[in-house]
Amino acid sequence: MSLIIDNISFSYGDREILNGLSLEVPAGTTNAVVAPSGSGKSTLLRIIAGLLTPSAGSIILDGKELSRVPTHLRSIGMVFQDNQLFPHLNVYDNVMFGLRMAKTEKTIAAKRCSDLLHLVGLTHAAQQSVVTLSGGESKRVALARALAPSPRLLLLDEPLIGLDNELHDRLAHDLQRILHATSTTALLVTHSIPEAEIISDSIHRLQAPIDSVQDGEEK
Amino acid sequence: MVGHRLEMKIRSVRFFVIPAAILVFVTAVIPLIVLATSVIDKADIFSIWAKSPVRRALVFSLWQALLSTASTIFIGVIATWYLSRYQFLGRRTFIALVTVPFVLPTVAVGAAFIAVLPKALHHSTLAIVLAHIFFNISIVVRTVSPRWNSIDDQLIDSARTLGASPLQTWRHVIMPLGKNAIFSATALTFFMCFTSYGIITILGGPGLATVDIEIYRRAVQLGDLSGATVLAIAQMLLIAITFLLWSRSRSTELVLFRAQAISHRRLSLVPKCFFLALAAFFTVPLLALLAASLRTRDSWSLNGWKVFLGIQKQRGIDFNMWQAIQTSAKYALIASCIALPTGIAATYALSNRRSSHSRLSAFVILPLAISPVVIGLAILITYDFQPFDFRSSWLLIPVVHAAIALPFVMRSALPVVEGIPNDLRSAASTLGAGPWRRFLTVELPLLKPAISTGLAFSLAMSLGEFGATSFLTRRESRTIPIIIASLFGKAGDIPRTTGMAASLVLIISTAMIVLAIDRKSHT
Repeated sequence: MSLIIDNISFSYGDREILNGLSLEVPAGTTNAVVAPSGSGKSTLLRIIAGLLTPSAGSIILDGKELSRVPTHLRSIGMVFQDNQLFPHLNVYDNVMFGLRMAKTEKTIAAKRCSDLLHLVGLTHAAQQSVVTLSGGESKRVALARALAPSPRLLLLDEPLIGLDNELHDRLAHDLQRILHATSTTALLVTHSIPEAEIISDSIHRLQAPIDSVQDGEEK
Repeated sequence: MVGHRLEMKIRSVRFFVIPAAILVFVTAVIPLIVLATSVIDKADIFSIWAKSPVRRALVFSLWQALLSTASTIFIGVIATWYLSRYQFLGRRTFIALVTVPFVLPTVAVGAAFIAVLPKALHHSTLAIVLAHIFFNISIVVRTVSPRWNSIDDQLIDSARTLGASPLQTWRHVIMPLGKNAIFSATALTFFMCFTSYGIITILGGPGLATVDIEIYRRAVQLGDLSGATVLAIAQMLLIAITFLLWSRSRSTELVLFRAQAISHRRLSLVPKCFFLALAAFFTVPLLALLAASLRTRDSWSLNGWKVFLGIQKQRGIDFNMWQAIQTSAKYALIASCIALPTGIAATYALSNRRSSHSRLSAFVILPLAISPVVIGLAILITYDFQPFDFRSSWLLIPVVHAAIALPFVMRSALPVVEGIPNDLRSAASTLGAGPWRRFLTVELPLLKPAISTGLAFSLAMSLGEFGATSFLTRRESRTIPIIIASLFGKAGDIPRTTGMAASLVLIISTAMIVLAIDRKSHT
């Protein structure tokens, strides 16, 4: 399940965010893109997920060009910076969401769901409302939820931002362990090199474009 | 000691509910008790349902309300989705266009639909349903859009990355997040349509009478007070149940959302056409009203306007329009002066203390759950004999209007009052402001949006009120809606065109008042 990013460009109006970016993520590995904020990291992930359309270039997953495939059919999971858990669903149902969308058979889905909750260490919180979770717990739920439908590729957008130091390190190691255990092909973007070193197998550096934009304005 | 003083303060705030409670007692509780105990002939409790006009009214009320509610919710939900998630040219104007009709005078809107529809449809279910949609879409937009407005775009993105198709995203994310609000809107719309009175007075006809119309007919035309009362109480029970469901769903609403600015997605062609059609739906009846006020059977003429303005006399039309305008304006001002302070004080008393006060709050909101026609009937019966000779006082009607506006004032004030952080009050106290200083310098300025919205609501409600007023009105002090209804009850071109002119003036002045006051509060 390898990912090839071929010569991707993107701009908002006349502001160029990405210019001819190319990158390859071999199957079963975790790669990191490290760059300062405002360099278009999130934009890159959103393009890969199909949430944004690039102005040029192509995304190839397993030899198949994705430009005409809508987001929900790409089988690309994503862990968002602020998790984006569904507030109307409990922990269990959040993790089940993708399996329900794929109409996975009920017993298989339930098994998969409890396996993942076990993997991220949240079995006890299955019936809890997601609005009561701590930052670290929310991140684990977001990870389990993204992994549940067995995506061909997992995207992680600054997964450890905003967590306190101790939790940050622990979760970084957990992430590395979980991604390995599930042998998921993953692409991580972060501004922190130490974090990338813990989680990923190889690291790419991305330079900020001259006229950089703030993360907030990208949306 | 400090704890004790705090306790005292909380208790004293509670007393703020007293004026509202008195208002509700005088205009709803006492009259309803009198109504239920004094005039019912026990035989009627069972026999009334065998009468065919009653059965027809029940069936018609129910089915037109179901049809109206379903259409309103369907169109309203689509409109709300685009209004709360998309940016497009004229969006703000459109929001005003969609949200104002709710407070427009019912009889005048009925007249507008007479003006726009071909004659064959003047007294038809279709006309009634269309007018109900016109009115009640704003309920959907007002209740549901705050919910959907606050959904983070990325939450929807995350559903998509989990494999949810656009349809699945709607079903599993967007609808569940709006569910409670949609449910509230459905209950309120159903209530409004079921007890529709002003619109049916104009657009109804043989076989097209609601329970409210039947209550009026029994009480006023047939003199069957007992039968009318049985119907009124049965209807009240039905509405109380709907209302209970409504308030229950409100209390479970999710509030843990991050507020966010509207995204800049553009509308595609289909929703653009939808909005064009909807804009036409909201504006064409008013243009038709203008045209109809100038049109007699075969020529254009200003006669309707001349009669309206009192320049020309017409046999059979004996009102003085200027006097009616004065009466309407006077009632609206007095009703607002009562409803606004009473409502805001009561909101203060009830906010932040939901659990112990929910029963009390239901009690103040009670008039919302009772149709104005029933209130009118109950008051007519209660205060008609000594010792309560309230009936002959000219203050009666504005007081009743205030009671009808009260729940709306409170509904618009509640989020504002609850939005004032307690720490802000404490901060003012630590800076040396006593309770009154604190209220005047900190809370009152923050309450401004609640005051202006409440003022807009109570003025508009009073200007357009028809249900209760139709029972209580006196010859010398008729309001504009009463005169419009009587004009449409007369045969001939001149009364009709005069009625159209009066409707147009009433609609435009109400809309302008609401827009001017409500707008100002947001800038």
